[in-house]
Amino acid sequence: MNKITIANRNNTIFEVKGTKPLLLELRSQGLDLPYGCQYGGCITCAAKLIHGEVDQRSQVALNNRQINDGYVVLCVARAKTDCTFEIGVESHDKLYRNPFIDPLSPHELKSNIAILKDKINESP
Amino acid sequence: MDGSCCGPGYASPSEAVKAPQEKLLYSIAIYTGTGIQKPDYLATIDVDPQSSNYSKVIHRLEMPGIGDELHHMGWNACSSCHGDEKMSRKYLLVPGVRSNNIYVVDTASNPIAPCLHKIVDGAEIKTKTNLSGPHTVHCLGTEIIISFLGDAKGEAPGGYLHLNKDFEIVGRWENSMGDIPFSYDFWYQPRHNVMVSSEWAAPNTFMPGFDLEEVGHLKYGRRLHIWDFEKKKPIETMYLGEDGLIPLEVKFMHDPNSSHGFCGAALSANVIHFWKSSQDKWEWEKIIDVDNEPHPDWPIPIPGVMSALLVSMDDKYLYINNWLHGDMRQYNISDPHNPVLTGQVWMGGLLGKAPIVNGVKVTGGPQMYQLSLDGKRMYVTTSLFSTWDNQFYPEIRTKGGVMFMIDCDVENGGMQINKDFVVDFGKEPNGPSRCHESRYPGGDCTSDIWL
Repeated sequence: MNKITIANRNNTIFEVKGTKPLLLELRSQGLDLPYGCQYGGCITCAAKLIHGEVDQRSQVALNNRQINDGYVVLCVARAKTDCTFEIGVESHDKLYRNPFIDPLSPHELKSNIAILKDKINESP
Repeated sequence: MDGSCCGPGYASPSEAVKAPQEKLLYSIAIYTGTGIQKPDYLATIDVDPQSSNYSKVIHRLEMPGIGDELHHMGWNACSSCHGDEKMSRKYLLVPGVRSNNIYVVDTASNPIAPCLHKIVDGAEIKTKTNLSGPHTVHCLGTEIIISFLGDAKGEAPGGYLHLNKDFEIVGRWENSMGDIPFSYDFWYQPRHNVMVSSEWAAPNTFMPGFDLEEVGHLKYGRRLHIWDFEKKKPIETMYLGEDGLIPLEVKFMHDPNSSHGFCGAALSANVIHFWKSSQDKWEWEKIIDVDNEPHPDWPIPIPGVMSALLVSMDDKYLYINNWLHGDMRQYNISDPHNPVLTGQVWMGGLLGKAPIVNGVKVTGGPQMYQLSLDGKRMYVTTSLFSTWDNQFYPEIRTKGGVMFMIDCDVENGGMQINKDFVVDFGKEPNGPSRCHESRYPGGDCTSDIWL
């Protein structure tokens, strides 16, 4: 069992098994969470991970900058350790950005098209 | 409501123009992506100038769950089955882009207070047809097809769901997607045995929001596709290139004999005109090019983002929007090769030309619009898609969307924002929601097709 602390809900703690996605585990215990596609494709359910580790390999919605900023797609992510999250749109301060004013670097794109920093440095 | 002797709709576009003035309007409004944990809903808006509730939301039909992201919708029947007395324009099909559910709403039993008739379950659609991300709904005589932008995992190109008149899943409509990379909108013109489809992107690409870099990585569309409508397969591709980045809405003229149609390329902010030449060859050309506009805070000029497009029922005027600039335009297309700008109004947008309209601060810009059958009243809403709204107009979270009406001069051309009409969705009972597509009970300029 892992302890999931919701920092922006008075540090409420939930215990999860880690066998199901966090969205399902937390909603079944009464936590009200936004969600949409339920397969990791649409970021409606994104939350910010403050501490801990999750497995969200099957998500396809987040770009690498969003992942580096701590965002987790709860509908597919499973807890690997105790975790602390901020949830809901209050946690979305860095999730959305104007793509023209604040463009992504090649390594910050989604993982299927990102060019890793090492690769950029290697190129002539 | 359709004022006909037999089936739904009208005998011809010219008959539709003469229909009685609309008194009700249905518009979807969303909470998905807003932070308010409430279902999206279908709002009924009183548009009868004689009514004491004029310009107000008079009913809200909430969907059964949260997180659908209602977006576009369509009728179960239109003028394409005007001759079928067993059919009636009774049901509005309202897809949830994120949930994959299709809500069938009965608008006839009580037009003011529509009720849920049936849900075509999103999970069942995925299992039976491997489709997700529903968008455009058209009826095909007695049957219905809906474009989907992805497979069950949200990858392109998706395809077309075929429902029968009782809203049961028949399966996939198309016999082949050919080498089409992306799906989005479609329109068909049966007398030319043609359907034209456009390209947005895979659900996994556009649903999380817009990354400009993904355009360069070819994750967004730049083509139009010509289909053999009877054989249900694509036969020709028009590669639009840089002139046609993200070609979204596609419409044919309403005249069933016409082969002329239009598409708005959102990112290029161009109108693409296509037609069948006298040699039976499909041709295209760019007829309108909206320049990008400089902005002090932007490193590059702002593109218009022409996210929608509409042809008046009499085929005389083409309407376009520039969501990021904030203007709506009217062009006379009597010569479709040479459109003439005849009207322009401003509401919201990033250029600061009309931050407050009819006393409401506009966050967003003109985005979806519906035109009355007589062409004189255009209802315009301001939200595009929850995640894209959040990127370009973050204040929409607290301000919500807004609906305005534009008076359109059909004789001499011209547009003017009506001073007496405004529906502020920022003041909804459950908090600020965002309004999107609208439909009239008696049919409208973006649904009816003639066989």
